[in-house]
Amino acid sequence: MAEIILNLAIFIIMIAIALGVYRLVKGPTVVDRIIGLDLLTLVSIALIALIAHISSRFIYIDVALVYGLLSFLSVLAVARYLERGL
Amino acid sequence: MMMTLITLVLCIGILISALLATYVKRRVAAVVSAGLTGLFASVTYVILSAPDVAMTEAAIGSGITTVIFLFALSKTKGEADE
Repeated sequence: MAEIILNLAIFIIMIAIALGVYRLVKGPTVVDRIIGLDLLTLVSIALIALIAHISSRFIYIDVALVYGLLSFLSVLAVARYLERGL
Repeated sequence: MMMTLITLVLCIGILISALLATYVKRRVAAVVSAGLTGLFASVTYVILSAPDVAMTEAAIGSGITTVIFLFALSKTKGEADE
């Protein structure tokens, strides 16, 4: 049962990555691409946590933690650059 | 099986974002695409069981590099970016 749920979660994450990459490639404006980057960051944090659970090596959680602490920085920098130039 | 699928999707994502960073017109979009390349590479390092490399890549390759590129873009007096 748990394996079915994990496989389903992996498929859902793969679909989310595909949709985010599609928005990043297609997006007409830069703001669409920033939203796609933010979405892919969140999905990547979930994917790292899932890999840590699957491979039973919980040191990988630290990578997700560092990524979650630092991921807002690039989105914030791009938003501030578009507003009035860093 | 599942790890193979994850690695395949991530490598296709790295390829697409690197090509997008090369071919896109606006410079801010190219910087965002380069940050996405570092993001996918970081997750790939986790799959290849190198969490310290992944942590460094997440901190420097995807976080600080984007800020430094945007800082340089705001300092240069190039063509209008709109």
